[in-house]
Amino acid sequence: MALLETIGLSKSFGGLRAISNLDVDVEAGSIHGLIGPNGSGKSTFFNLVTGVYQPDPGSKIFFDGLDITKSPSHKIGALGIARTFQLLRLFSEMTVLQNLMVGYHTHVSYGFLKTIFNNSAIAKIDAQTSDEMMELLEFIGLADFASMPASELSGGQRRLLALGRAMAMRPKLLMLDEPAAGLSPVNVDRLMAIVMALKERFGLTVLIVEHILKVVMETCDTVTVLDYGQKIGEGSPSEVKDDHAVIEAYLGQEMDDDEIRAALNA
Amino acid sequence: MNAVASLLEYPSSYIEKLGNIHRILPWIMAFVVLLPLPHILETTLNEYYVYLANRICIFIMLCVGLNIVKGFCGQVTVGHVGLYAIGAVTSALISLHLGWSFWISLPLGVFAAGLAGVIVGLPSVRLEGAYLALATLGLGESVRIMIAVTPFFGSSTGLISIPSPAIGGFVFDTYRSYYYLVMTAALIGIYLSFSILRSATGRAFMAVREDTIAAAVHGINVTKYKLLAFVISALYAGAAGGLFAHMPPGYIHHNNFTIIEMVTLLLMVVLGGIGHIWGGVIGAIIVTIIYDQTLEFYFYQPLLFGLSMVLIVLFMPRGIGGMIDRYLVTKRFMAIQEGKSNGAS
Repeated sequence: MALLETIGLSKSFGGLRAISNLDVDVEAGSIHGLIGPNGSGKSTFFNLVTGVYQPDPGSKIFFDGLDITKSPSHKIGALGIARTFQLLRLFSEMTVLQNLMVGYHTHVSYGFLKTIFNNSAIAKIDAQTSDEMMELLEFIGLADFASMPASELSGGQRRLLALGRAMAMRPKLLMLDEPAAGLSPVNVDRLMAIVMALKERFGLTVLIVEHILKVVMETCDTVTVLDYGQKIGEGSPSEVKDDHAVIEAYLGQEMDDDEIRAALNA
Repeated sequence: MNAVASLLEYPSSYIEKLGNIHRILPWIMAFVVLLPLPHILETTLNEYYVYLANRICIFIMLCVGLNIVKGFCGQVTVGHVGLYAIGAVTSALISLHLGWSFWISLPLGVFAAGLAGVIVGLPSVRLEGAYLALATLGLGESVRIMIAVTPFFGSSTGLISIPSPAIGGFVFDTYRSYYYLVMTAALIGIYLSFSILRSATGRAFMAVREDTIAAAVHGINVTKYKLLAFVISALYAGAAGGLFAHMPPGYIHHNNFTIIEMVTLLLMVVLGGIGHIWGGVIGAIIVTIIYDQTLEFYFYQPLLFGLSMVLIVLFMPRGIGGMIDRYLVTKRFMAIQEGKSNGAS
């Protein structure tokens, strides 16, 4: 069964159609890749699914059988969709541990009033949460930095923290927006190993946008290729690699001399 | 910095030990330590300084409240002083016209300020930064003008002979007795702000301050928490206002709620350190004393405070509290590095 399903998903910014009529099915338990040239609508797709943007009328998004097309971001997050951002958007003035605790927010069992009237119970619950989060930090290898502000971390550590913060939500679907951008090849492998380990451990479904094609080709079960907001190819990595339309989108159309001359004069 | 830190190390470790036995113990200790203060001030200086201590306590409450919405939730509000006025006027009017006791009028004033806090907070749903500041400025200033032009609210004469609070036969009608009331209130205020801000609610506030989109995606209802921050800070302002109104000689005037007062309040928070609870307290103490000692140069005070605000924002953006935090972080980082090199060798 598809865990995430979009039907006729469209989004226009003024006259520009960033996404048009896109149907994507993300199967439960799979690793689904989303690739395409710059500006092909990958990040817009993420923002639509997580409620950061509102899709155009007529679009439908289903998660786990529920219609989430019009749900606000925080409700979508509470349902079990976690995501990372291309530009990370960490809570940089907060400590590493606090970043994860915010991620755990939807699972916190007490309300605001209890924080005033039942202090010791809160302290106990928070201590328990922080133990769990430390375990997660241990897993991604940031435990030493738990009490440091996130702004003090290096670039690679920040990417790990963004992943950890998303994982603290205990999600069903983890959406990664270019998780490996700017990492050295060694660190890319390390990061992907951690993602795979997390997937095994928590039984995740992963949707990943990535420019490093090696990552996509090696890890994904299914790949969807976007260009100008439309789906131009879908299938296993090896199928997609040989798809004519995909090659054209990435490398450009083959032109003969007359066509080049015409293009230059135009 | 190092010398100051080592000086503070012993008492802070002692307080920590107390806190481990029961979290309320350090606060009881602080209460006991602060009890003889008016006596000391009266004998070494004079009664005026007890009055100053009262003002400091009220400003601490205002600062701690403002810090929640501005420091922790990141919403730039300049309407706080209006909420303070609403708390003061409501409590004063109820006890003047209905003759109800302080213990009923104060909570009602706090409640009224809380309701007004929702209204001041509403623009924050749509506006950010300077635009939000302008909107809240308008709301805060309109409260003052309402008071200034309505005879019922005091207009130009102000409200006079607001009754003093009393428990049984004991009346809080001197600066000294009133000090015990405001000091207790300030301590409770600080304590509550710690319990709120060290919980999931406080973390949600900070997340909203850092990045609203990331906060929303991680399951935080941004609108709800923004409004909650405004309401909590309004409750603090209302309580501070009520306490101010009933403070001997029981007199409030719309001049107590001007934009200058608001700038002073902002200066306290900025100097103490935005998003730092103790910073707000330190800022309130320092700025109230400076304000008081420079009263002779009344006309230049706005210049002095405005200028120092600019200088602090430029050269010390995290304030005193931020400097302390910075020091602690560096120390912790050094400890990690040391631990690593020890482990390697």
